[in-house]
Amino acid sequence: MAGAGGGGCPAGGNDFQWCFSQVKGAIDEDVAEADIISTVEFNYSGDLLATGDKGGRVVIFQREQENKSRPHSRGEYNVYSTFQSHEPEFDYLKSLEIEEKINKIRWLPQQNAAHFLLSTNDKTIKLWKISERDKRAEGYNLKDEDGRLRDPFRITALRVPILKPMDLMVEASPRRIFANAHTYHINSISVNSDHETYLSADDLRINLWHLEITDRSFNIVDIKPANMEELTEVITAAEFHPHQCNVFVYSSSKGTIRLCDMRSSALCDRHSKFFEEPEDPSSRSFFSEIISSISDVKFSHSGRYMMTRDYLSVKVWDLNMESRPVETHQVHEYLRSKLCSLYENDCIFDKFECCWNGSDSAIMTGSYNNFFRMFDRDTRRDVTLEASRESSKPRASLKPRKTQEKAASAGGPVWFRPRRGARQALLLTWRCS
Amino acid sequence: MEVQKEAQRIMTLSVWKMYHSRMQRGGLRLHRSLQLSLVMRSARELYLSAKVEALEPEVSLLAALPSDPRLHPPREAESTAETPDGEHPSPEPMDTQAPTAEETSACCAPRPAKVSRKRRSSSLSDGGDTGLVPSKKARLEEKEEEEGASSEVADRLQPPPAQAEGAFPNLARVLQRRFSGLLNCSPAAPPTAPPACEAKPACRPADSMLNVLVRAVVAF
Repeated sequence: MAGAGGGGCPAGGNDFQWCFSQVKGAIDEDVAEADIISTVEFNYSGDLLATGDKGGRVVIFQREQENKSRPHSRGEYNVYSTFQSHEPEFDYLKSLEIEEKINKIRWLPQQNAAHFLLSTNDKTIKLWKISERDKRAEGYNLKDEDGRLRDPFRITALRVPILKPMDLMVEASPRRIFANAHTYHINSISVNSDHETYLSADDLRINLWHLEITDRSFNIVDIKPANMEELTEVITAAEFHPHQCNVFVYSSSKGTIRLCDMRSSALCDRHSKFFEEPEDPSSRSFFSEIISSISDVKFSHSGRYMMTRDYLSVKVWDLNMESRPVETHQVHEYLRSKLCSLYENDCIFDKFECCWNGSDSAIMTGSYNNFFRMFDRDTRRDVTLEASRESSKPRASLKPRKTQEKAASAGGPVWFRPRRGARQALLLTWRCS
Repeated sequence: MEVQKEAQRIMTLSVWKMYHSRMQRGGLRLHRSLQLSLVMRSARELYLSAKVEALEPEVSLLAALPSDPRLHPPREAESTAETPDGEHPSPEPMDTQAPTAEETSACCAPRPAKVSRKRRSSSLSDGGDTGLVPSKKARLEEKEEEEGASSEVADRLQPPPAQAEGAFPNLARVLQRRFSGLLNCSPAAPPTAPPACEAKPACRPADSMLNVLVRAVVAF
């Protein structure tokens, strides 16, 4: 999707009511490759939404403050800051171009007036400081108002500079650059609960960084085999536990999740827990190995559960039970019989994300044709909604969709073949406030 | 037979995707390459097992028949019917016979015409002129020796592969070794779409495409 969709909020009781709010970005079909959004992330308070695109830019939206004169404007997001995070680079040793596409953005917990976030492309992670300036000093002694230096011999009196208000200016400055630590393509970054360290994961290795130190990182997971011909799986996602700073998980392309404890050893090649659901022989197909690859893993806010997303389903795991997930939700099971077509048009390789709501009572993930699915864990109900401006008016409640309904309007089986470049709701973030 | 053809088509498609992934910005993606190789392996196993199953009835039939003279005529008919389906005794697997080889399948990605442009003139001359098309088999083996080192799939990320088969064997070598049986098969009539997949009826025979692709991939 080229634009980030609007949001929802729980209405009364346990029922969620979703309303269409805004569309950001281009909504027409003809979108430049560089403008395609590749990652989205709310900050902890939900006031800021950061988006990264394929052109290496980061655009931050800020929620408008409550305003009595414009009651409907609350909850609307406007552009707060835009900056170029990454530029295309060239690896001369391997003769490879390094894409500037932003793979992930993660906010740091706010500790002062400024906001900090980590953004990463395939090879380099950067720490950005986003700060506001709404005052400027006037009345310098050594320079004029336009910045030109004054002749010191002409200064006859001293004055104290005065701070005067100015138009709000949001500045983004790179504070740290963490480079040259990954041979393969970075797919995940995760900030630790200690607020001092973070991890970055590529296909075969996970590194631990300190936010203040850029010239060193510790390798904590390395699954590269001695002989690359024996490679059978790669790391697809990794995340730190929300409360235990020594625990993290990483998922693999084989559909397994490993939980590691950094207290046990410096190199966490040996997992502490291994989560794998036995494969159902009756559902085995030609493309089983591809669709079992986990594209996203997220801890619940409580830290008790974690959620994984593979191509057709989303699963909730209890960290205390490794043998099987406690919940499995089918996202778009009707695609199981169309895997061959999806392989032909590359849709089978799409990586969907998933997210928890603030209270861990619901989970959400995306699907094709602008649809996203929400599963209420308390009521065991699920709903399919369409994030589309064409079919929704602002602030109107979104109507639950049925796949059969869409099939009837689209003329039947054509609907079941997601086209390349058509709207996939791959990226999700749920504002937790 | 349909299973065989479908497996062939999937293998061809996977080879093309593997080649195409090398051309994209950012270089080869390890995860994508692994997934493609897994599909290729599954397709190959399916193809080989389907082939074995196709040959098994003939073997058992031939073993059982000598005692029954009434079955001799049917056996002869059976064996002649089997020949096109089994190993075609063509000494020149690269000698493409299909006049429709240049038609790009809609179900394949849209760039194979561009991929195979370099090699098309020799393979896509008139079907009647196939006797004039030079044999490519011996040359493929020689070329493979000098171009195996430049095979980019194994180059950047892994050491030169050993003889043991793994996830990323030298692409040219595996195509030549494992798919030589494929390349020997004569292109049959366009396959009907299997129920599991929505293959377009306009698919040209996959092995002809594979011939072209193998040469294109080896050349790079």
